[in-house]
Amino acid sequence: MKVMKKAKVEKVIEALAKEHDVYVPIQRGAQTGFFSYRTYNEDYDDIMLDTLNVYQPPKSIVFPQTEKMYGFKSEGQKINIDQVFEESEPKIIFGLRSCDLKAIDYLDELFFTKSYEDEFYRARRKSTVMIVNACYNPGTSCFCDSMGVSPNEPENADVLIHDIGEGDFAWEAKSDKGEAVTELIKDLLEEQEATLPTLKNFKRKVDYEGVAEKLKDMFDHPMWEDMSYPCHNCGICTYMCPTCYCFDIQVKTAGEEGYRFRCWDSCMYREYSQMAGGHNPRELDKERFRNRFLHKLQFFQERYGEPLCTGCGRCIVVCPAGVSIIKVIEKVKEADV
Amino acid sequence: MREITNQIKDIARKLFEEKKIDMFLAWEKSEFDFQSMPFFARSAEEVEKIIFDEFSVHNLSNALLRFRDGKQRIGIVVKGCDSRGIVRLLEDHQFTRDRLYIVGVCCPGMKDPLKAFRNESGFEKTANADLEADKCNDCIQPNPVIYDVLLGEEQPPRMQGERFKKVKEIEAMTPDERYAFFEDKLSTCIRCYACRQACVACNCRTCIFDESRPQWVGREANTSDNMMYHIIRASHMTGRCIECGECERVCPVHIPLMLLNQKLIKDVDSFFGPFDAGLKYEEGAKPPLSQYRENDPDDFL
Ligand code: SF4
Ligand code: SF4
Ligand code: SF4
Ligand code: SF4
Repeated sequence: MKVMKKAKVEKVIEALAKEHDVYVPIQRGAQTGFFSYRTYNEDYDDIMLDTLNVYQPPKSIVFPQTEKMYGFKSEGQKINIDQVFEESEPKIIFGLRSCDLKAIDYLDELFFTKSYEDEFYRARRKSTVMIVNACYNPGTSCFCDSMGVSPNEPENADVLIHDIGEGDFAWEAKSDKGEAVTELIKDLLEEQEATLPTLKNFKRKVDYEGVAEKLKDMFDHPMWEDMSYPCHNCGICTYMCPTCYCFDIQVKTAGEEGYRFRCWDSCMYREYSQMAGGHNPRELDKERFRNRFLHKLQFFQERYGEPLCTGCGRCIVVCPAGVSIIKVIEKVKEADV
Repeated sequence: MREITNQIKDIARKLFEEKKIDMFLAWEKSEFDFQSMPFFARSAEEVEKIIFDEFSVHNLSNALLRFRDGKQRIGIVVKGCDSRGIVRLLEDHQFTRDRLYIVGVCCPGMKDPLKAFRNESGFEKTANADLEADKCNDCIQPNPVIYDVLLGEEQPPRMQGERFKKVKEIEAMTPDERYAFFEDKLSTCIRCYACRQACVACNCRTCIFDESRPQWVGREANTSDNMMYHIIRASHMTGRCIECGECERVCPVHIPLMLLNQKLIKDVDSFFGPFDAGLKYEEGAKPPLSQYRENDPDDFL
């Protein structure tokens, strides 16, 4: 089996970074996320391949929080679109976890299927290689296997690496893209015997079976109001979620010129569902709270056959009010309808 | 704290039995030992779930905004900082005193459930050794300033050393250094608006950041729009922030919001003071910046 030795990890990243913009899990000051290796600063940053995951999920690499779409200039009565900002520089996400890869699979479903293909997403996505770090030690907030994600044998990885102890990683190319990047660094890998670790038990489980079906009859259930009381209707859970994809399209102008951009938006905000005529179909906090869970657990399931939650646990950790999607699923299971 | 929990339960149970309240705001325990979360009891039976412990850090006065248009009579547990939040709501005419039954608890300092969960999560490389909520280290008023009943022993202020020390360090910087400092800090804000949502003083019905006709602040999460967001948010807190520290505590990317708030607290105090918002409630009182006086200083303009 091919092995990337501890001492070679940074060399591998450096070698890949020659032709790619490589994103690595990094602790940067008080923050953790996937940051471009080009911005890596030894004095300030700490690479996190040995920890469970990072707060800011990698979705922003293929679907940035703010993304320019096109620029325009007006001349008299005419408007000319003079720039289209498609971004297709080759990229590698190095060391993402299965839950976050699955989340990107869901973005693929959204942006590529059901008769519409989003060019901006396609340009970024097609040029991105996924080097997935298999999980054998699920954390306290992880419940990916309950949501149909395999932590150590993900589908659709380009390369799969396995922590085999001592900071060494077994390296397996899993796709043509994966073979191609492996070729770039083959001299840095060693051929040796390696035993893969065994997957430890999950501390968290939740039974999602039948939830989408049951939710159909629970739109007006009183539990939504009860559960929404502690919630601040902030957007932390949606912005930190690897799967949440809602966005808005807006424009910025200066004199005769301007550009259109899209930016993440959150169903937790009143403005999100505000309509031009003044009506708001989700005026109440509880309606916005409910929407977040119905979208994840019912609507996405109905449209794409899977729930829009990969069990990464981030929203549970970061919620300042202690709201938990696991609790919500359990409440749905228990509820009388 | 078990003693205080029992006292709170007794009071809440009695209030329900005597039909004096429709709802009681306190905390309940969630899955982990460190997970205390806001709880909204609506009957004497539900009172049994109530707890008050070292993780009861949330400022529940903010949750009252949810009920500002209702008629419910509400019992609520407040620590020192939270009680100043109640004063904020009364001064801002968001709530009337007669709808509230306030249980004040003298606060010995809280731990932060978010810190504890971060330690457990594996989403960070280094663990926080101490779980003390940062906001409690700057606390000047641990004892409630408004209450119907007071529990626990009066506590000394937890703030040690010089007040506004961090603010003074920033003031000592050159304008360029200061700009660079805030550019670095604010560029990573993800504009989730949690700092606004958790704030009791952010009680406008339609927030300027949600206005779309016209849109006052751009929605791009970049340095310039972020700075605009933060300048406006902070300046709307001038003379109004009650220093509960919730904004900074809830921020998922650790933006030092209290630095901005404290700068304004310091300025209001030195220009119009002595003054700290929400330290006492007097009906009809006009705190600084809620009225105009001819001799108001204006050399900072
Ligand atoms: S569930 Fe938590 S993180 Fe999400 S909007 Fe509510 S308070 Fe914010
Ligand atoms: S809903 Fe929560 S647990 Fe599920 S994918 Fe999003 S952040 Fe992770
Ligand atoms: S400062 Fe923090 S809490 Fe406030 S909007 Fe920015 S990221 Fe969210
Ligand atoms: S600005 Fe921050 S510290 Fe001040 S009242 Fe609001 S949440 Fe509390």
